Amino acid sequence: MSQPFTERVTFWYGCNVLRHGDIIHSCLDILRALGFEPAAVGGPDYCCGSVKDANQGTAGGMATRTVGKLNQRAAPVVAWCPSCHSHMHDFMERANDRHFDITYLVDLLHANRAKLAPLLAQPVPMRVIVHQHVGFNELVPVNRMVPELLRLIPGVDVAEAGYTAPGYMCASFAALPKAMDDINNNTVRAAKAAGADAVVTMFHQCYRELVGLDAAGAVPVYNYIQLIARSMGLPYTDDYKAWKRAGMIGPDGIAKVGIEFYERAIVPELKKRPNLR
Amino acid sequence: MNRPAIGGRLKEFQQSEVERILGACTRCGKCYEVCPMAQYAKPPSENGRSVVPGVLAVLRGEAGSPEALGWIAVCTRSGVCVPACPENVDPKMMMRLARMTALGGRGQPAQIESKQDRDYFDRIRAFARLQLSDDELKDWT
Repeated sequence: MSQPFTERVTFWYGCNVLRHGDIIHSCLDILRALGFEPAAVGGPDYCCGSVKDANQGTAGGMATRTVGKLNQRAAPVVAWCPSCHSHMHDFMERANDRHFDITYLVDLLHANRAKLAPLLAQPVPMRVIVHQHVGFNELVPVNRMVPELLRLIPGVDVAEAGYTAPGYMCASFAALPKAMDDINNNTVRAAKAAGADAVVTMFHQCYRELVGLDAAGAVPVYNYIQLIARSMGLPYTDDYKAWKRAGMIGPDGIAKVGIEFYERAIVPELKKRPNLR
Repeated sequence: MNRPAIGGRLKEFQQSEVERILGACTRCGKCYEVCPMAQYAKPPSENGRSVVPGVLAVLRGEAGSPEALGWIAVCTRSGVCVPACPENVDPKMMMRLARMTALGGRGQPAQIESKQDRDYFDRIRAFARLQLSDDELKDWT
Protein backbone atom coordinates (compact mmCIF):
# COMPACT_ATOMS: atom_id res chain seq x y z
CA MET A 1 0.00 0.00 0.00
CA SER A 2 1.40 3.40 -0.91
CA GLN A 3 2.22 5.87 1.80
CA PRO A 4 -0.03 8.89 2.35
CA PHE A 5 1.35 12.06 0.78
CA THR A 6 2.92 14.20 3.45
CA GLU A 7 4.64 17.08 1.71
CA ARG A 8 3.93 18.93 -1.51
CA VAL A 9 7.12 19.79 -3.39
CA THR A 10 7.99 21.35 -6.73
CA PHE A 11 10.34 19.10 -8.69
CA TRP A 12 12.34 21.59 -10.77
CA TYR A 13 13.97 19.30 -13.29
CA GLY A 14 15.63 21.95 -15.48
CA CYS A 15 15.52 21.75 -19.25
CA ASN A 16 18.13 19.51 -20.87
CA VAL A 17 17.03 16.46 -18.88
CA LEU A 18 14.01 16.40 -21.18
CA ARG A 19 16.22 14.18 -23.34
CA HIS A 20 15.80 11.56 -20.63
CA GLY A 21 12.10 11.13 -19.91
CA ASP A 22 12.84 7.94 -17.97
CA ILE A 23 14.92 9.93 -15.48
CA ILE A 24 12.19 12.53 -14.92
CA HIS A 25 9.46 9.89 -14.55
CA SER A 26 11.63 7.79 -12.23
CA CYS A 27 12.46 10.78 -10.02
CA LEU A 28 8.76 11.54 -9.63
CA ASP A 29 7.96 7.94 -8.70
CA ILE A 30 10.85 7.84 -6.22
CA LEU A 31 9.68 11.07 -4.59
CA ARG A 32 6.12 9.71 -4.33
CA ALA A 33 7.40 6.47 -2.83
CA LEU A 34 9.23 8.52 -0.19
CA GLY A 35 6.02 10.29 0.77
CA PHE A 36 6.27 13.49 -1.22
CA GLU A 37 3.69 14.91 -3.60
CA PRO A 38 5.82 16.29 -6.43
CA ALA A 39 4.68 18.69 -9.13
CA ALA A 40 7.12 18.66 -12.05
CA VAL A 41 8.17 21.91 -13.72
CA GLY A 42 10.91 22.61 -16.22
CA GLY A 43 11.70 23.14 -19.87
CA PRO A 44 12.62 26.46 -21.48
CA ASP A 45 9.85 28.30 -19.56
CA TYR A 46 11.61 27.47 -16.27
CA CYS A 47 15.16 28.01 -17.53
CA CYS A 48 17.55 29.37 -14.90
CA GLY A 49 19.35 31.51 -17.49
CA SER A 50 22.77 29.97 -16.95
CA VAL A 51 23.03 29.20 -20.66
CA LYS A 52 22.89 32.91 -21.43
CA ASP A 53 26.31 34.00 -20.20
CA ALA A 54 26.70 36.01 -23.39
CA ASN A 55 23.51 38.01 -22.73
CA GLN A 56 23.02 38.99 -19.10
CA GLY A 57 19.98 41.12 -19.90
CA THR A 58 18.19 38.00 -21.09
CA ALA A 59 19.66 35.88 -18.29
CA GLY A 60 18.42 38.36 -15.70
CA GLY A 61 14.93 38.33 -17.18
CA MET A 62 14.85 34.54 -17.25
CA ALA A 63 16.01 34.35 -13.64
CA THR A 64 13.36 36.83 -12.49
CA ARG A 65 10.62 34.99 -14.38
CA THR A 66 11.63 31.56 -13.07
CA VAL A 67 12.05 32.64 -9.44
CA GLY A 68 8.64 34.35 -9.71
CA LYS A 69 6.97 31.23 -11.08
CA LEU A 70 8.56 29.05 -8.39
CA ASN A 71 7.46 31.60 -5.74
CA GLN A 72 3.88 31.33 -7.01
CA ARG A 73 3.88 27.58 -6.48
CA ALA A 74 4.39 28.15 -2.74
CA ALA A 75 6.07 24.79 -2.14
CA PRO A 76 9.62 23.69 -1.35
CA VAL A 77 11.66 23.14 -4.50
CA VAL A 78 13.67 20.00 -5.20
CA ALA A 79 16.20 20.72 -7.94
CA TRP A 80 17.49 18.05 -10.29
CA CYS A 81 19.92 20.00 -12.45
CA PRO A 82 23.32 20.99 -11.00
CA SER A 83 23.48 24.01 -13.30
CA CYS A 84 20.08 25.29 -12.16
CA HIS A 85 20.85 24.60 -8.50
CA SER A 86 24.23 26.34 -8.53
CA HIS A 87 22.91 29.22 -10.65
CA MET A 88 20.11 29.72 -8.13
CA HIS A 89 22.70 29.82 -5.35
CA ASP A 90 25.25 32.00 -7.15
CA PHE A 91 23.03 34.48 -9.00
CA MET A 92 19.26 34.00 -9.12
CA GLU A 93 18.55 34.28 -5.40
CA ARG A 94 21.06 37.11 -5.05
CA ALA A 95 19.08 39.26 -7.47
CA ASN A 96 15.53 38.10 -6.81
CA ASP A 97 13.40 37.51 -3.72
CA ARG A 98 13.21 33.76 -3.25
CA HIS A 99 10.22 32.74 -1.10
CA PHE A 100 10.70 28.97 -1.16
CA ASP A 101 13.11 26.52 0.40
CA ILE A 102 15.27 24.69 -2.08
CA THR A 103 17.26 21.48 -1.88
CA TYR A 104 19.05 19.28 -4.37
CA LEU A 105 17.61 15.85 -5.18
CA VAL A 106 20.74 13.95 -4.10
CA ASP A 107 20.62 15.79 -0.78
CA LEU A 108 16.94 14.90 -0.32
CA LEU A 109 17.41 11.24 -1.23
CA HIS A 110 20.41 10.98 1.06
CA ALA A 111 18.49 12.56 3.93
CA ASN A 112 15.70 10.03 3.30
CA ARG A 113 17.96 7.00 2.74
CA ALA A 114 16.47 5.13 5.68
CA LYS A 115 13.11 5.27 3.89
CA LEU A 116 14.66 4.62 0.49
CA ALA A 117 16.63 1.50 1.42
CA PRO A 118 13.64 -0.86 1.95
CA LEU A 119 12.19 0.21 -1.40
CA LEU A 120 15.30 -1.09 -3.17
CA ALA A 121 14.12 -4.68 -3.32
CA GLN A 122 15.45 -5.97 -6.62
CA PRO A 123 19.15 -6.83 -6.86
CA VAL A 124 21.20 -5.05 -9.50
CA PRO A 125 24.36 -7.14 -9.66
CA MET A 126 26.94 -4.73 -11.01
CA ARG A 127 30.39 -3.45 -10.07
CA VAL A 128 30.50 0.26 -10.90
CA ILE A 129 32.60 3.34 -10.66
CA VAL A 130 30.91 6.70 -10.13
CA HIS A 131 31.86 9.41 -12.60
CA GLN A 132 32.62 12.51 -10.55
CA HIS A 133 33.79 16.08 -11.05
CA VAL A 134 35.70 18.38 -8.73
CA GLY A 135 33.08 21.15 -9.04
CA PHE A 136 29.56 21.37 -7.52
CA ASN A 137 30.69 19.05 -4.73
CA GLU A 138 31.35 22.09 -2.52
CA LEU A 139 27.66 23.06 -2.81
CA VAL A 140 26.27 19.54 -2.36
CA PRO A 141 28.70 16.74 -1.40
CA VAL A 142 27.52 14.53 -4.23
CA ASN A 143 30.85 12.72 -4.57
CA ARG A 144 30.20 11.15 -1.16
CA MET A 145 26.40 10.95 -1.24
CA VAL A 146 25.81 9.26 -4.61
CA PRO A 147 28.11 6.30 -3.88
CA GLU A 148 26.40 5.96 -0.49
CA LEU A 149 23.00 5.88 -2.21
CA LEU A 150 24.20 3.31 -4.73
CA ARG A 151 25.50 1.07 -1.95
CA LEU A 152 21.91 0.79 -0.68
CA ILE A 153 21.05 -1.17 -3.83
CA PRO A 154 21.42 -4.95 -3.35
CA GLY A 155 24.13 -6.24 -5.65
CA VAL A 156 25.72 -2.91 -6.51
CA ASP A 157 29.43 -2.84 -5.69
CA VAL A 158 30.85 0.67 -5.88
CA ALA A 159 34.58 0.65 -6.60
CA GLU A 160 36.92 3.59 -6.10
CA ALA A 161 37.20 5.39 -9.43
CA GLY A 162 40.59 6.91 -8.78
CA TYR A 163 39.74 9.65 -11.23
CA THR A 164 37.91 12.94 -10.76
CA ALA A 165 37.19 15.02 -13.85
CA PRO A 166 37.73 18.79 -13.91
CA GLY A 167 34.79 21.17 -14.19
CA TYR A 168 31.41 20.52 -12.62
CA MET A 169 29.71 18.50 -15.37
CA CYS A 170 30.53 17.22 -18.83
CA ALA A 171 28.26 19.37 -20.98
CA SER A 172 30.56 22.37 -20.35
CA PHE A 173 33.20 20.51 -22.34
CA ALA A 174 31.23 20.38 -25.58
CA ALA A 175 33.25 23.34 -26.80
CA LEU A 176 36.53 21.93 -25.42
CA PRO A 177 37.03 18.71 -27.42
CA LYS A 178 40.58 18.01 -26.19
CA ALA A 179 39.46 18.16 -22.56
CA MET A 180 36.35 16.05 -23.31
CA ASP A 181 38.54 13.48 -25.05
CA ASP A 182 40.66 13.30 -21.90
CA ILE A 183 37.57 12.82 -19.72
CA ASN A 184 36.26 10.04 -21.97
CA ASN A 185 39.59 8.23 -22.10
CA ASN A 186 40.36 8.65 -18.40
CA THR A 187 36.88 7.37 -17.55
CA VAL A 188 37.33 4.22 -19.64
CA ARG A 189 40.79 3.65 -18.14
CA ALA A 190 39.42 4.12 -14.61
CA ALA A 191 36.59 1.66 -15.25
CA LYS A 192 38.99 -0.95 -16.58
CA ALA A 193 41.46 -0.42 -13.73
CA ALA A 194 38.68 -0.86 -11.18
CA GLY A 195 37.31 -3.95 -12.90
CA ALA A 196 33.99 -2.16 -13.21
CA ASP A 197 31.07 -3.44 -15.25
CA ALA A 198 29.72 0.05 -15.75
CA VAL A 199 30.18 3.78 -15.21
CA VAL A 200 27.47 5.60 -13.26
CA THR A 201 26.91 9.32 -13.73
CA MET A 202 25.30 11.75 -11.30
CA PHE A 203 24.17 14.42 -13.74
CA HIS A 204 22.20 14.10 -16.97
CA GLN A 205 24.73 16.45 -18.62
CA CYS A 206 27.44 13.85 -17.99
CA TYR A 207 25.13 10.99 -18.95
CA ARG A 208 24.37 12.62 -22.30
CA GLU A 209 28.09 12.85 -23.10
CA LEU A 210 29.33 9.58 -21.59
CA VAL A 211 26.54 7.43 -23.01
CA GLY A 212 28.60 7.79 -26.18
CA LEU A 213 31.08 5.41 -24.51
CA ASP A 214 28.23 2.93 -24.19
CA ALA A 215 27.19 3.43 -27.82
CA ALA A 216 30.80 2.96 -28.92
CA GLY A 217 31.03 -0.34 -27.01
CA ALA A 218 33.69 0.93 -24.59
CA VAL A 219 31.80 0.56 -21.30
CA PRO A 220 28.11 0.50 -20.24
CA VAL A 221 26.95 3.80 -18.78
CA TYR A 222 24.00 4.57 -16.49
CA ASN A 223 22.68 7.43 -14.43
CA TYR A 224 22.36 6.70 -10.72
CA ILE A 225 18.59 7.28 -10.85
CA GLN A 226 18.27 4.53 -13.45
CA LEU A 227 19.85 2.00 -11.06
CA ILE A 228 17.67 3.12 -8.15
CA ALA A 229 14.61 2.88 -10.43
CA ARG A 230 15.62 -0.60 -11.59
CA SER A 231 16.00 -1.79 -8.01
CA MET A 232 12.58 -0.36 -7.16
CA GLY A 233 11.06 -2.18 -10.13
CA LEU A 234 10.04 0.99 -11.95
CA PRO A 235 9.14 0.29 -15.58
CA TYR A 236 10.74 3.12 -17.54
CA THR A 237 12.97 2.48 -20.54
CA ASP A 238 15.97 4.54 -21.54
CA ASP A 239 14.92 5.78 -24.98
CA TYR A 240 17.88 8.13 -25.26
CA LYS A 241 20.40 5.30 -24.89
CA ALA A 242 18.54 3.27 -27.52
CA TRP A 243 18.54 6.24 -29.92
CA LYS A 244 22.19 6.91 -29.22
CA ARG A 245 23.17 3.29 -29.85
CA ALA A 246 21.18 3.24 -33.09
CA GLY A 247 22.33 6.71 -34.12
CA MET A 248 18.74 7.50 -35.02
CA ILE A 249 15.17 7.64 -33.77
CA GLY A 250 12.28 5.75 -35.35
CA PRO A 251 9.94 7.08 -38.05
CA ASP A 252 7.19 8.00 -35.58
CA GLY A 253 9.64 10.14 -33.62
CA ILE A 254 10.97 11.76 -36.77
CA ALA A 255 7.40 12.62 -37.76
CA LYS A 256 6.87 14.29 -34.37
CA VAL A 257 9.92 16.55 -34.58
CA GLY A 258 9.98 17.09 -38.36
CA ILE A 259 12.49 15.62 -40.78
CA GLU A 260 14.38 18.86 -41.46
CA PHE A 261 14.90 19.63 -37.77
CA TYR A 262 15.73 15.99 -37.04
CA GLU A 263 18.47 15.87 -39.64
CA ARG A 264 19.93 19.24 -38.68
CA ALA A 265 19.70 19.21 -34.88
CA ILE A 266 19.12 15.65 -33.63
CA VAL A 267 21.12 13.32 -35.88
CA PRO A 268 24.54 14.93 -35.22
CA GLU A 269 24.02 14.50 -31.47
CA LEU A 270 22.92 10.87 -31.77
CA LYS A 271 25.77 9.95 -34.11
CA LYS A 272 28.48 11.71 -32.08
CA ARG A 273 30.99 9.23 -30.69
CA PRO A 274 33.93 9.71 -28.32
CA ASN A 275 37.44 9.95 -29.67
CA LEU A 276 39.00 6.98 -27.87
CA ARG A 277 42.75 6.56 -27.86
CA MET B 1 6.18 54.02 -8.54
CA ASN B 2 9.16 53.23 -10.76
CA ARG B 3 9.56 49.52 -11.38
CA PRO B 4 13.14 48.30 -11.68
CA ALA B 5 14.07 47.11 -15.16
CA ILE B 6 13.83 43.36 -15.65
CA GLY B 7 17.21 41.91 -14.74
CA GLY B 8 18.31 45.20 -13.19
CA ARG B 9 19.02 43.66 -9.80
CA LEU B 10 21.18 41.01 -11.42
CA LYS B 11 23.28 43.75 -13.03
CA GLU B 12 23.58 45.53 -9.68
CA PHE B 13 24.63 42.32 -7.93
CA GLN B 14 27.18 41.50 -10.59
CA GLN B 15 28.66 45.00 -10.46
CA SER B 16 28.95 44.86 -6.67
CA GLU B 17 30.75 41.52 -6.97
CA VAL B 18 33.10 42.94 -9.60
CA GLU B 19 33.98 45.84 -7.29
CA ARG B 20 34.49 43.50 -4.33
CA ILE B 21 36.77 41.21 -6.35
CA LEU B 22 38.79 44.08 -7.82
CA GLY B 23 39.32 45.41 -4.30
CA ALA B 24 40.23 42.08 -2.70
CA CYS B 25 42.42 40.27 -5.26
CA THR B 26 46.17 40.58 -4.64
CA ARG B 27 47.10 39.01 -8.01
CA CYS B 28 49.04 36.22 -6.30
CA GLY B 29 48.03 33.78 -9.07
CA LYS B 30 47.26 30.81 -6.82
CA CYS B 31 43.83 30.39 -8.47
CA TYR B 32 45.52 29.81 -11.82
CA GLU B 33 48.20 27.54 -10.41
CA VAL B 34 45.68 25.06 -8.94
CA CYS B 35 43.24 25.20 -11.88
CA PRO B 36 42.87 21.79 -13.57
CA MET B 37 41.75 23.53 -16.77
CA ALA B 38 44.79 25.81 -17.14
CA GLN B 39 46.54 23.05 -19.10
CA TYR B 40 43.94 23.48 -21.84
CA ALA B 41 44.26 27.28 -22.07
CA LYS B 42 45.66 28.75 -25.28
CA PRO B 43 48.14 30.31 -25.08
CA PRO B 44 49.35 28.55 -21.93
CA SER B 45 51.20 30.31 -19.15
CA GLU B 46 53.51 29.02 -16.45
CA ASN B 47 52.86 31.92 -14.15
CA GLY B 48 49.50 32.74 -12.58
CA ARG B 49 50.76 36.15 -11.52
CA SER B 50 51.03 37.15 -15.14
CA VAL B 51 47.55 35.83 -16.03
CA VAL B 52 45.33 37.16 -13.24
CA PRO B 53 45.88 40.89 -14.00
CA GLY B 54 44.41 40.25 -17.45
CA VAL B 55 41.32 38.70 -15.87
CA LEU B 56 40.89 41.76 -13.65
CA ALA B 57 41.28 43.98 -16.72
CA VAL B 58 38.36 42.16 -18.34
CA LEU B 59 36.29 42.78 -15.21
CA ARG B 60 37.12 46.49 -15.47
CA GLY B 61 35.83 46.44 -19.04
CA GLU B 62 39.30 46.65 -20.54
CA ALA B 63 41.04 44.36 -23.02
CA GLY B 64 42.29 41.14 -21.47
CA SER B 65 45.68 39.65 -22.25
CA PRO B 66 45.71 36.63 -24.61
CA GLU B 67 46.71 34.40 -21.66
CA ALA B 68 43.83 35.68 -19.52
CA LEU B 69 41.28 35.31 -22.32
CA GLY B 70 42.57 31.81 -23.03
CA TRP B 71 42.08 30.84 -19.40
CA ILE B 72 38.64 32.47 -19.19
CA ALA B 73 37.56 30.54 -22.29
CA VAL B 74 38.29 27.15 -20.69
CA CYS B 75 36.85 27.80 -17.22
CA THR B 76 34.31 25.06 -16.48
CA ARG B 77 33.66 25.96 -12.81
CA SER B 78 35.89 23.36 -11.19
CA GLY B 79 35.98 25.55 -8.08
CA VAL B 80 39.38 24.25 -6.97
CA CYS B 81 40.47 27.89 -6.94
CA VAL B 82 38.06 28.83 -4.15
CA PRO B 83 39.84 27.19 -1.18
CA ALA B 84 43.25 28.00 -2.74
CA CYS B 85 42.63 31.75 -2.58
CA PRO B 86 44.33 33.25 0.50
CA GLU B 87 42.09 36.34 0.36
CA ASN B 88 38.69 34.62 0.06
CA VAL B 89 38.09 36.41 -3.21
CA ASP B 90 35.96 33.57 -4.63
CA PRO B 91 37.93 33.16 -7.86
CA LYS B 92 35.16 30.95 -9.27
CA MET B 93 32.85 33.98 -9.17
CA MET B 94 35.70 36.11 -10.56
CA MET B 95 36.08 33.79 -13.53
CA ARG B 96 32.34 33.45 -14.07
CA LEU B 97 31.90 37.23 -14.22
CA ALA B 98 35.00 37.55 -16.39
CA ARG B 99 33.56 34.98 -18.78
CA MET B 100 30.20 36.78 -18.97
CA THR B 101 32.06 40.05 -19.62
CA ALA B 102 34.46 38.59 -22.18
CA LEU B 103 31.55 37.04 -24.06
CA GLY B 104 30.00 40.51 -24.32
CA GLY B 105 27.20 39.57 -21.94
CA ARG B 106 27.58 42.56 -19.62
CA GLY B 107 27.48 45.27 -22.24
CA GLN B 108 31.15 45.48 -23.19
CA PRO B 109 32.47 44.32 -26.59
CA ALA B 110 33.01 40.56 -26.84
CA GLN B 111 36.61 39.40 -26.48
CA ILE B 112 36.11 35.64 -26.75
CA GLU B 113 33.94 33.67 -29.12
CA SER B 114 30.44 32.73 -28.07
CA LYS B 115 29.31 29.42 -29.53
CA GLN B 116 25.64 30.05 -30.11
CA ASP B 117 23.46 26.97 -30.63
CA ARG B 118 20.41 28.27 -32.47
CA ASP B 119 18.63 24.96 -31.92
CA TYR B 120 19.30 24.74 -28.16
CA PHE B 121 15.77 25.28 -26.85
CA ASP B 122 14.02 23.80 -29.91
CA ARG B 123 16.06 20.61 -29.43
CA ILE B 124 14.89 20.42 -25.82
CA ARG B 125 11.28 20.91 -26.94
CA ALA B 126 11.71 18.19 -29.58
CA PHE B 127 13.00 15.65 -27.07
CA ALA B 128 10.15 16.61 -24.74
CA ARG B 129 7.61 15.89 -27.48
CA LEU B 130 9.22 12.47 -27.96
CA GLN B 131 9.03 11.44 -24.31
CA LEU B 132 6.27 13.29 -22.50
CA SER B 133 2.53 12.89 -22.89
CA ASP B 134 0.39 15.80 -24.08
CA ASP B 135 -0.82 16.37 -20.51
CA GLU B 136 2.74 16.33 -19.17
CA LEU B 137 3.83 18.77 -21.84
CA LYS B 138 0.97 21.06 -20.89
CA ASP B 139 1.41 20.83 -17.12
CA TRP B 140 5.18 20.49 -16.71
CA THR B 141 6.72 22.88 -19.21
